[in-house]
Amino acid sequence: MANAGVVDIGWLELLLATGFVVLAGGLSLLLDLGLVKDITIATVRTYVQLLALGFVLTFVFAHQRWWLTVLYIFVMTVMAAWIILSRAPDAPKGIFASSAFSMALTGFIVTFAVTGLVVRVQPWYRAQYVIPIAGMVVGNSMTGIALALERMFADLELRAEEVRALLALGATPAEAARPSVRSAVRAGAIPTISSMAAVGIVFIPGMMTGQILAGADPVRASKYQIVVMLMVSAAELLGSVMAVLLSYRHRFTAEGVYLERGFRGDAEVPDGGLRRHRGAGSS
Amino acid sequence: MLLESLGLTLVRAGDTGPVRVLDGVSLALSGGELVDVVGPSGSGKSTLLLAMARLLPGVRGQLRLDGRPAEEWPPTRWRTNVTLLPQKPTLVPGTVADNLLLPWRLKVRAAEEPPTPGVLADALASVGLDDVSPARDVARLSVGQQARVALLRVLLARPEFLLLDEPDAALDNDSAARVTDAVVRFVREGGGAVRVRHLRSDEHASRRYRMEAGRLAEAALANGGE
Repeated sequence: MANAGVVDIGWLELLLATGFVVLAGGLSLLLDLGLVKDITIATVRTYVQLLALGFVLTFVFAHQRWWLTVLYIFVMTVMAAWIILSRAPDAPKGIFASSAFSMALTGFIVTFAVTGLVVRVQPWYRAQYVIPIAGMVVGNSMTGIALALERMFADLELRAEEVRALLALGATPAEAARPSVRSAVRAGAIPTISSMAAVGIVFIPGMMTGQILAGADPVRASKYQIVVMLMVSAAELLGSVMAVLLSYRHRFTAEGVYLERGFRGDAEVPDGGLRRHRGAGSS
Repeated sequence: MLLESLGLTLVRAGDTGPVRVLDGVSLALSGGELVDVVGPSGSGKSTLLLAMARLLPGVRGQLRLDGRPAEEWPPTRWRTNVTLLPQKPTLVPGTVADNLLLPWRLKVRAAEEPPTPGVLADALASVGLDDVSPARDVARLSVGQQARVALLRVLLARPEFLLLDEPDAALDNDSAARVTDAVVRFVREGGGAVRVRHLRSDEHASRRYRMEAGRLAEAALANGGE
């Protein structure tokens, strides 16, 4: 195991690292930056979340059950979908299901393609490999999906008049939404492409850093990183394309009408008129 | 063809409770008819046009086209027959020709033959845009020119019915007259049109309605009689 080379950090050393944050907090107090509360909460969260992660992973690694690994990835995906939903309060609620589905599908396929075909993990569910890789894949596709969805709904909103004019000419929702879908997928892809271009020059990616710190041979770590980088980028692109294609329709009614701001949410239509998607002509 | 709306009703949340934006509006229109709907702003005129184009969620009532209820028509097909021209001329980025040919790039008209360059040139000339090349970028058009291109786009697509929301509101007199001529020509060739107008009506209308607080009432024609 690679962790033979890892220098163990004691609790005292952890406290020392915390000391630097306390220093930053003191500075904030001195300059009246109003950040003390945020810094404190963030520090506590870092401790709690990462230590909890450590204990959970210890448990999962100790038991090595296929269903534990799969369950872990599933929970991770659901959490990621929640984060996407909370970042886009203006988006229709239906994006939860479409982003969770997109991340789950691309996440599982890409993760097991890496662990099964490239790293050739034995057995296939070996948590030490599968979970960290799934974390990177799902985490990155979460970022891509969140960016793409945010861009798409904002762009549709900007183009609301154009969308309506297109629908009036007989366009389907897909045709009316197409320019926004394109710009959303591009927006989701840009960070991936730029980080692929900058990797190794501007920054040493996290996984490679970790492996080098753990004493691995840098060239071996590079190869791992290339595989992960390519797979993660693919997951991010596929995930955002899929999420965008599954989500744009939520902004339209069954009749293909674009839901402008005033028509969203049943609360605004006292007769529950919105539920009757069929609209005019059905009574 | 006959376009019928029966008891169109839309209730929305207002500041002090539910508001009937459309309150049982019925309007029937056949080909060759030009109907004006006038009324103060906020009375529901534009809402009525949106409802008739099936571009508004939550509307109750009945819509029929050619005797068939709306639900028997696919929405896209309905809208190619009953086409709304929104008040604000909205063009897509690109050239004048891109915009005029836009309807034929949609799935619903994929099987139809788009107009030839000659037809486009004639159409532009017919609304006083002879000096505008089809290759001009729409970003370089004036508001009045944009409005006429948007109108031409729906006219070239030859719907059965046109729903025009203040088609000449933002235009100078000359452009407005060109738009009116084009609409009158469309009606003379058998199309039906509803024009929503702020206040005025004119001698071209065969019927005139007044809209107030979501209700539609037939009004006397400007020249005093039916």
